[in-house]
Amino acid sequence: MSDDVDKRREESAGLMEYSAENLVPFGPIHPSLKEPEYFKIILEGERIVDVIPRIGYVHRGLEKAAEMRPWIQNMYMFERTCGICSFVHSLCYGQAVEGLTIFQVPKRAEYIRLIICEMERIHSHLLWVGLMGHWAGFDTLFMWVWQDREVVLDLVEAISGNRVHKSMNAFCGVRRDMPQGMEKHIVERMKFMTDRARYYREIIDTEETMLERTQKVGAHVTQDTVEKLCAVGPMARYVGLRQDVRLNNPYAAYGEVPFEIVTRTEGDVQALLRLRLDEIIASANMISYAVENLPDGPIKVKIPPVIPAGEHSSRCEAPRGEIFYYVKSTGGRTPDRVKSRQPTLANLPLALEILKGQTLADVPVVLTAIDPCFGCMDRMSFLDTEQNKQWTWSGEQLRQYGIKHYFPDRKDKA
Amino acid sequence: MLPHRKVGAAIPEMFRVMLEKPTTEAYPYKKIDLPDRFRGKLDIDPEKCTGCSVCALVCPASVITMIDLGKRKVGDRELPVKRPIFELASCIFCGECVDNCAFKALEMSKQFELATPDRDSLTMKKALPK
Amino acid sequence: MIPEVLEAIIFPGALYTIGMGFLFDWLDRKTSARMQGRIGPMIAGPYGTLQPLADFIKLLFKEEIIPSHADKLVFLFAPALFFMAPILSMLFIPIISPTSIAGFQFDILAILFLLGFSAFVVSILSFSSASSFTTVATGRLVLQYVSYEIPLVLSIIAAALCSRSLSVEGVVGAQTKIWNVFLAPIAFCVFIVAMMAELEKAPFDIPSAKTEIVGGWLTEFSGRALAFLKLTKEVSYVFGCALAVSLFLGGPLGPILSFGVPVSILYFIYFTIKILAVGFVIFVLKTSLTRIKIGQATQLFWKILTPLSLCQILLILILIQGGLIVAT
Repeated sequence: MSDDVDKRREESAGLMEYSAENLVPFGPIHPSLKEPEYFKIILEGERIVDVIPRIGYVHRGLEKAAEMRPWIQNMYMFERTCGICSFVHSLCYGQAVEGLTIFQVPKRAEYIRLIICEMERIHSHLLWVGLMGHWAGFDTLFMWVWQDREVVLDLVEAISGNRVHKSMNAFCGVRRDMPQGMEKHIVERMKFMTDRARYYREIIDTEETMLERTQKVGAHVTQDTVEKLCAVGPMARYVGLRQDVRLNNPYAAYGEVPFEIVTRTEGDVQALLRLRLDEIIASANMISYAVENLPDGPIKVKIPPVIPAGEHSSRCEAPRGEIFYYVKSTGGRTPDRVKSRQPTLANLPLALEILKGQTLADVPVVLTAIDPCFGCMDRMSFLDTEQNKQWTWSGEQLRQYGIKHYFPDRKDKA
Repeated sequence: MLPHRKVGAAIPEMFRVMLEKPTTEAYPYKKIDLPDRFRGKLDIDPEKCTGCSVCALVCPASVITMIDLGKRKVGDRELPVKRPIFELASCIFCGECVDNCAFKALEMSKQFELATPDRDSLTMKKALPK
Repeated sequence: MIPEVLEAIIFPGALYTIGMGFLFDWLDRKTSARMQGRIGPMIAGPYGTLQPLADFIKLLFKEEIIPSHADKLVFLFAPALFFMAPILSMLFIPIISPTSIAGFQFDILAILFLLGFSAFVVSILSFSSASSFTTVATGRLVLQYVSYEIPLVLSIIAAALCSRSLSVEGVVGAQTKIWNVFLAPIAFCVFIVAMMAELEKAPFDIPSAKTEIVGGWLTEFSGRALAFLKLTKEVSYVFGCALAVSLFLGGPLGPILSFGVPVSILYFIYFTIKILAVGFVIFVLKTSLTRIKIGQATQLFWKILTPLSLCQILLILILIQGGLIVAT
């Protein structure tokens, strides 16, 4: 680890004339992080030499807890993995379990799932644009964008009853139907949302101080770096890669509703702002189309509480990127293994790569630009603070360590 | 065509917003109106509850406990009489109990201000006989 | 002598300045809230007017925590020095008459010294609380001070040249025919921008950037020290607006109406209207701009504002030679 730091110090020696080395602890509690994670930033003057992360502060053990609950109760638990992408989590888990059964999801339920998914995407992107404004110092943009976000939240509340945890998903269907007579209202609100997204696009393109904070920040990232670091979602689309689960592997009703993928090529933070605002406009169009062409039919198919044995996986496009769920069943009332991989875990190495060579003022901007959700992504991490070591263990090594720790007198290593 | 860069691009909108009514409400002093489907605090109608225990089986948060209240005779069989009590402090407001109650005894009201200094006041025992 | 001391302490001296500081804080929060679509302070006092006073009193009652590596003497007593500088400077500004309470012939130089002195005290304060955030903040603070100082001094000199006098009373007195803002408009704009950097208002609130270095140089302060530091920032704001009004907008001068109202009340009303107008301009600019990076702020001051203010001084010298500006 220290050789890397020396190498970076040599590389950046020509960039700044300061010679003092400073270590700024970013987190775990910091005004610019929504959720706690620890980033050790090594500075020289104002220039960043290295960023060393340490994760695991909000790990809740959801995958283990899922093994002890019945299938339908896990739907509610995985919905609470994250507040902003909660519907997509329960949708992905539901699709993974539905793949093990023989039942099909009715068409109307798929359209309703698409509508709620896209509303959640608009809500998440608006939240993100506001947070970018706040952490760059532009409080006015933050307040305005969050007021417009209330429009989408009111729509979600009228449909599902709650602003955040929608609880709309059930296996092979949705729990509640759309309310009667809301189509015109939804289409008109989507038009309002499109106009506001265009206005914010204009502000971030012309406001001089905002441009100085976001243009050319992190522009040294190329398509190769992004592909090698396996970034997903908007972090892959902002350098020009056409990676979107809705396009490559359509689920729910995405195969039928017309969909345009949004990509940009500049590769800096301003490209991310433009990309997410354009995605809001694309989502609003999709919602208007789906609401006007909603097919008739049942919304739910009743399935037995015992899921047949097998394993299945499912991918969905959350607002932050690609979510992946793997489910294994042995024919009982509870799952045998559930694994979920969230998009922030894939995007975090890219954020640390972007930060090298930038200044301290760019840290909140770049860390927010990947749209982090540390509550979703957290994993256990192994570290020894006295010797400053970090390492990883496989599942079998962890199991052996647990046996050694809890049963020190046991002779057999079964 | 590159957009023209200027300082203070947000100023016209700022003046327009200043002359309109603010969008925030003076919350504790004004009531908020909620949509019909709002899922607030749980409420039970004791007349309709028969003690079938389906709500306790489906609750994901183990909020509902069935209390044994004795037995009753139906024909020549003896059936147990049970009634639920609710620990509303643990409720996650999902609405599974409401959807699964065959007698429509449960509903979610529009009350959402549940903060209280006394935890026992959130245990709902309305379904138990006096 | 006694009436002068009372004037200096109560009105229009220290207590008046502190009261105006609270009023500016309330106006700042209320107008930026309305421009953002919110309500702003509304509970303490009618329409929230007593909110800044309530914040100040609350902070006085809080516990003071001093970091273990900090320099205790500077930590506890330098805020008092920082507080004295703008209060003392306000005594040189004429408010209720064309003469001020403590003015003398070269008091613009005293004001320049006090501006530099308060920046120096802030650097010492920031350096004495030894934590990693404040070290970064000290670097940013000194860099920003070095950048804005020159355009600020040059624009003040431009105003003094227009009026051919180095005392604030003299500058005010020379604006009876025409205000300096029409003779030196570029200097006025440069002065406003440099003043925003001195007061650390957006886009120049870089040394106390809340979301990057937690609190900047204010991070480790709590309790009474924090209360007085925040009050000093408000009082400096009032002083900055008052200086702009005196040097460029004619101070308390205005048309004298002759229906029996005492002249000092008229002067006071004109002065208050003018500083509220300048304050409003700074509120609007502050709400509509983002914080920029320190490298970009330095470039702005050295590459754009310093040459502009030098050009302005050249223009004024040409106008003086051409006889368009005469000494009164």
